[in-house]
Amino acid sequence: MSEPENTPDEILVESTGRSILERVSIVWLVPLGALLIALAIAWQHWRDRGALIEIIFEDAAGIRVSETELKFRDVTVGVVESVRLQDDMLHVAVGVRIDNRVVDYVDEDAVFWVVRPEVSARGVTGLDTVLSGVYLEGEWDSQPGTPQDSFEGRDTAPLLSPGQKGLEITLRGVGDEGITGDAPILYKGVEVGEIGPARIAEDGNTVLADAVIYAPYDRRITSTTRFWNTSGFSLSFGPNGASVDFATISSLLAGGITFDTAASGGFPAEDGDVFELYDTEEDARASLFARAEGPSIDMTLIFDTNVAGLRPDAPVELAGLKVGRITNLTGLVDPERFGDSQVRLLATMALQPERLGLSTEDDAQGLDVMQYLQQAVAGGMRARLTNASLLTGGLKVDLVTLEDAPAAELDMNGVPFPVFPTAPAELTDVAATAESVFNRVNNLPIEELLQSGIDFLNSATSLVSSEDVRGTPQDLRGLLGDIRGIVGSEKVQQVPDQLSTLMTELTGTASELNKTLAAINENELVAHLTSTIQTLDETAASAKTAIDGVPELLDQANAVVAKLNTIPVERLSDDLSGLIQATEALIDTPQARNLPTDMSAALSELALVLEELRNGGTVENVNRTLQSASNAADRIADASQELPALVGRVNGLVAKAQSLLGDYDGNSAVNRDVRTALRAVTEAARALDGLASTIERRPNSLILGR
Amino acid sequence: MTHSHHAISARSAGHLACERCGAVFPLSDEGQPCTRCGHKLRSRDMRSLQKVWAWWLVGVMCYIPANLEPMLRTRTLVHTSEDTIVAGAIALMHHGDYGVAVIILIASVGIPIAKFAAVAYLALSVRGVGKMSPGRRQHLYELVEYIGRWSMIDVFVVAILSALVQLNVAASISPGPAALTFALSVIFTMLAAQSFDSRLIWDTLGDDVQNDVPDADLQKKERP
Repeated sequence: MSEPENTPDEILVESTGRSILERVSIVWLVPLGALLIALAIAWQHWRDRGALIEIIFEDAAGIRVSETELKFRDVTVGVVESVRLQDDMLHVAVGVRIDNRVVDYVDEDAVFWVVRPEVSARGVTGLDTVLSGVYLEGEWDSQPGTPQDSFEGRDTAPLLSPGQKGLEITLRGVGDEGITGDAPILYKGVEVGEIGPARIAEDGNTVLADAVIYAPYDRRITSTTRFWNTSGFSLSFGPNGASVDFATISSLLAGGITFDTAASGGFPAEDGDVFELYDTEEDARASLFARAEGPSIDMTLIFDTNVAGLRPDAPVELAGLKVGRITNLTGLVDPERFGDSQVRLLATMALQPERLGLSTEDDAQGLDVMQYLQQAVAGGMRARLTNASLLTGGLKVDLVTLEDAPAAELDMNGVPFPVFPTAPAELTDVAATAESVFNRVNNLPIEELLQSGIDFLNSATSLVSSEDVRGTPQDLRGLLGDIRGIVGSEKVQQVPDQLSTLMTELTGTASELNKTLAAINENELVAHLTSTIQTLDETAASAKTAIDGVPELLDQANAVVAKLNTIPVERLSDDLSGLIQATEALIDTPQARNLPTDMSAALSELALVLEELRNGGTVENVNRTLQSASNAADRIADASQELPALVGRVNGLVAKAQSLLGDYDGNSAVNRDVRTALRAVTEAARALDGLASTIERRPNSLILGR
Repeated sequence: MTHSHHAISARSAGHLACERCGAVFPLSDEGQPCTRCGHKLRSRDMRSLQKVWAWWLVGVMCYIPANLEPMLRTRTLVHTSEDTIVAGAIALMHHGDYGVAVIILIASVGIPIAKFAAVAYLALSVRGVGKMSPGRRQHLYELVEYIGRWSMIDVFVVAILSALVQLNVAASISPGPAALTFALSVIFTMLAAQSFDSRLIWDTLGDDVQNDVPDADLQKKERP
């Protein structure tokens, strides 16, 4: 137990005597070194960490945190560190930690896009990403710039891949086909460029697409270069038969665009130039010499009248100048808008401002054109349906300025196009009229007509050559001679004289009546009365004689007419119909073929007959007779004009006599005699009156007897 | 255990033994080379605890990235995955491989942490912390020493997988940064355990015995 007492002393002495270096184990250097290494690694890591940039994408499809890499020329220069939604929930912000080596180059012209596997008609791209997942590709130039930390990601890769040189242009589709995007640009069958996805320009009317021409082919592009669509194969018929040509398979599938610099003298194209893309090579080449039609402006037309005949491609004309065309037609039923459920015609017209003389080159929005149209509409310009062709019934749209047009304006808010006001259609239904005319012409019985004509001529030949017809002139001449005889007969000639005699006598009678009345006034009644009655009897007898002549005359006229009637017209017509039947029967016979000969014979015979008629003086006779009859009738009319006056006077006389007689006893014999006399006078007067009115009404009845 | 109360250490008997050849020298020869084999004579390694703590510290330092960094980089045709130890074990559990997951968790997480705790406890117990008897502590120390080498099981798995699965495009497995740090952590922990002079466990017992009887004088002598 004593030794333990010594040892503590030894230990204590030694332990207190050691230096600090001896007391501290060298092993402590290990954790110290580890700490230093850890710190060094941390510091180096922090120093090499690079910058964090943010790229905004529509979505983050396939992008994985700390896996998806950012590549530049296929070298990994960064990795995705975060993927988060932006605050507006519209985009995705992808945080990428990029290497320090490239930070200085990622400036404002850097672009980023996502490389995905893509299978198109032109091949497969990004195949490696099928297995490895998508990656981000960046492109920037080799000039260091001011680093940026936020970028807008692209949907698609730029047409020129990094490091590739070429000419970047924009193609504008002017044809109907527009532009097929993502297609190769071929030059003599070699793919020299590429066209990107097509897009609709902001004005909504034209199709634009970015395109690149790879170096060194870009030198072929000048201001006179024209681009057009190639469908991939061509089919042509010619004297050597049909031939089908195929271009490359890829252009067959995806379509293609080719170009040619047809004219020399253009200046080299520059990046950003806009070229027109034509549908066909012909259009493209023609455009070198003709002014381009330029983009068109679509507008909607709503016609109240739904008329057949307006078709797509129908012209739109302004003062006879074609300024556009109808591109689309549909019906429109919109009860809420128009208040009824009538079907309206909704047409889309494509106006070409170039044709109006308005330029759209500098103003892609077409605002100037719209302003012009708005002013024109305010001034009364309306679209109106009119006939384009009288024959086909096609319609066109006329832009006309109507003075009295109801107020309207260009509805710029129309969907999808501005609505151009319309005016009621001005249509002449020529089609229907023409059609009916044609129908009538078509329905004309030409064959039957010809048949009838042949029949008629045959009949006429037979008729004219028949004895009866030949005798007709003689009959006529005889008839006319009879008429002339009647008219020129003494009795007829004497009628006026007799009438005037009668008038004179009646005048005398009247004066004698006056005298009688005077005598009556002088109370010498009876004696005068008796003589008066005698005178009256004489007068009446005389009047009767005069009147008796008239029926005789009428009888003679009747006889003339009867004689006229005796002309065998009916027999003639019977003969005619018989003849017609006979000839109709004959028509079927071979002899009908001799018709022309017959006809000319008939015509010559007809001419002979006419000649004979003329030579016979029949016509002159008839004319003369009629002239005479007319003269006679005139004279009778003159005479008859006096009759009413005479009758009036006789009536007045009778009335006076009756009133006179009324004063006396009705039963006396004198009175009876007087009444009888007066009645005779009255009847005479009535007979005269009837004659006069008959003559007055129809003077020719004297001749014709009716 | 009872016999330890009656034991006398070489040190308490005023002697020291050469650690290499076992020759006995008086305690006063400490610091001198052994006359027989030339090894430096040390009664106790006074810097043992320092070494323990130093190695222990480095081990812990290495253990942190070993758990944070990926242990295994698995690259297949379509996918590249990097798994830390714990994440890998959890993934295995999700796949239903509970047994494997438990083994990995015990070998890679449980045992290293237990070793850190055990070494730290042993080092602290020399300073009088803890109530475990020296015998149990000696057992604990031996257990730590024995089990330490098995902690490398994870590293071996990674090494074997990396060597075997190298199918170029189709699939490949490569060790991640954690494999290195984990191996370092294990190594440093083993070094810490080896640096511990287990005789110190028993010295406290000797002090206790001396404290029971003569230590009052000793302590009084130390203070002045």
